[in-house]
Amino acid sequence: MPRTLWRRLALAAVAGVGVAVWVFPVLWGLLTSFKTERDVLAYPPVWLFKPTLDNYREVIFGASSIVPNLWSSFVLATATTLLTMLIAVPAAYALGRLRFPAKRMSGFYVLVTQMLPPVGLIIPYYLVLQKLGALDTYGGLTVIYLTFALPFAIWLMVTYFEDIPLEMEEAALLDRAGRLRTLWYVILPQVRGGIAVTTIFVFLNAWNEFMFAVVLGGNRVRPVTVAMFNFISVEQTQWAKVAAGAMLAMLPVIIIGLFAQRHIVKGLTVGAVKGGGRR
Amino acid sequence: MKGSVRLEGVVKRHGATTVLHGVDLDIEPGEFFVLLGPSGSGKTTTLRILAGLEEVSGGRVLMDGADVTAQEPGERDVAMVFQSYALYPHMTVAQNIAFPLKMVGTDPAATQQAVADAAGKVGIGHLLERRPGQLSGGQQQRVALARAIVRQPRLFLLDEPLSNLDAKLRLETRLELHALQRALGATAVYVTHDQEEAMTLADRIAVFMEGRIVQVGTPREVFSRPATVEVAGFIGTPPMNLLPARWEGSRLLIGSEAIAAPSATNAPREVTVGVRPGDLRLASAGIDARIERIEDLGDTCITSFAVGGRLLKQKSDRLPQAREGDAVRLAFAPEAAHVFDRATGARL
Repeated sequence: MPRTLWRRLALAAVAGVGVAVWVFPVLWGLLTSFKTERDVLAYPPVWLFKPTLDNYREVIFGASSIVPNLWSSFVLATATTLLTMLIAVPAAYALGRLRFPAKRMSGFYVLVTQMLPPVGLIIPYYLVLQKLGALDTYGGLTVIYLTFALPFAIWLMVTYFEDIPLEMEEAALLDRAGRLRTLWYVILPQVRGGIAVTTIFVFLNAWNEFMFAVVLGGNRVRPVTVAMFNFISVEQTQWAKVAAGAMLAMLPVIIIGLFAQRHIVKGLTVGAVKGGGRR
Repeated sequence: MKGSVRLEGVVKRHGATTVLHGVDLDIEPGEFFVLLGPSGSGKTTTLRILAGLEEVSGGRVLMDGADVTAQEPGERDVAMVFQSYALYPHMTVAQNIAFPLKMVGTDPAATQQAVADAAGKVGIGHLLERRPGQLSGGQQQRVALARAIVRQPRLFLLDEPLSNLDAKLRLETRLELHALQRALGATAVYVTHDQEEAMTLADRIAVFMEGRIVQVGTPREVFSRPATVEVAGFIGTPPMNLLPARWEGSRLLIGSEAIAAPSATNAPREVTVGVRPGDLRLASAGIDARIERIEDLGDTCITSFAVGGRLLKQKSDRLPQAREGDAVRLAFAPEAAHVFDRATGARL
């Protein structure tokens, strides 16, 4: 066989293993969500079984329905995303354009906030929210989410703004657009892709957040990531219902992912090619 | 007529570095005025100060007699064509050209008419629905021009607008640009480091060197009477030949050779003598030289001579009789010699 064919086969094999590692848990979860609890616990695992919708019925309409929790997640993620973008876009624009001595340091600071393990911050956050009476409130948790969403969003958006030549902005200023209209008519349309990518990432991060939600939330604010625990108790773990809940929780993520795939890939390669982010 | 510009003692500093050391300049309405100089000489900074894109560290900027030093770029009624054109990539050509009118609330019908007129003047009427990314460099340049002329500003600022075009297109566009400026009758300030561009376009040229204007004059004046040895060495293709010499009475001593000086001096002094390549000729008596290289350009011929470790160039419309390596003698008419003070570089 020619060498190139071997190469291709080898590549396909490696890619296949990679995909399997990613796909298997999801696939297994999907299968589990259609099994009865008995089938779930069968050993050796069964691949052929009589599918049931009981688990979905239970997690949607049952006593421990996760629909209110999906709503909680949606409210939290949406509020976090809106506030983050509202602040991050002008902040990133300013950071991208201004020249100030600590600019490099500020970029480093943003990275550091992303590196900090959330568990280290939970206790101080808990105490602050407790003092403010903001435990188990949407406001409280949204503010906490902003602490990691905002630096991340600003850091991501800055690169998009920096990619736009300064001369374009100067041209708009000479065309009598002023600062705000320059931003609105000339700059923002060119960073649409970046705004889309950042919005999606911020939304997904907030949607998937667990650690802060489990400690700082409660009975009123209980996002779906935490609600999964409804099905895990001391006596037993209802794996099939956990799986059904997980599938439902994943749905918005997958839908957004499919819609935004093009933007995300483009967004991640911004700056790789000169002017690549603008086209 | 509107469009006069005046700079009074304009100073620009970036931190500890002074980029402009007190620039004074008067530009008449309707003039095609070129700021010429090597890179880093301050010409682009001066243009950006006129545009309001750079603040001055000292001095004043006046337009039509009014002090605009503190005014924002949008308040100055000036249009600029950038070296990179700075077109808005997400807008069509028509939207690009219409943008300055849209920003002042011109009604759509008048805008459309003005866009069509401006596009017609620069020959891009058929490209209005395209986006900048779909245009060639030359076409993009025309869009930038149309966007500048559509609002009929009192002053056009052009920052090396031809530098991104290929040589042939540059020559064509140069002519068109000149015709356009004449037709509009507007004042234009044009930055370039290309002295040929400056010579062909300008009504007057300001030559910048190290943050100072060293000479202002018509192209002919700057060429035939350069104010300093730097200007002499910068203007002309090939540039002026410069030789160290001693000026004694009515003669110039170049090495051991005595040549008649354009005028007499009372006190002998060390000078630099400049001779344009076109004024240098082969003669039976004169400066000893050896032919290094003959470059035949078809209509002209550039001959390089080695003279005591220096290279002199001669420009002639015919090939020399001698060949490369031959020992020859060079001479020039006394009135062709430009004499500069060796220490200060100023014209004597």
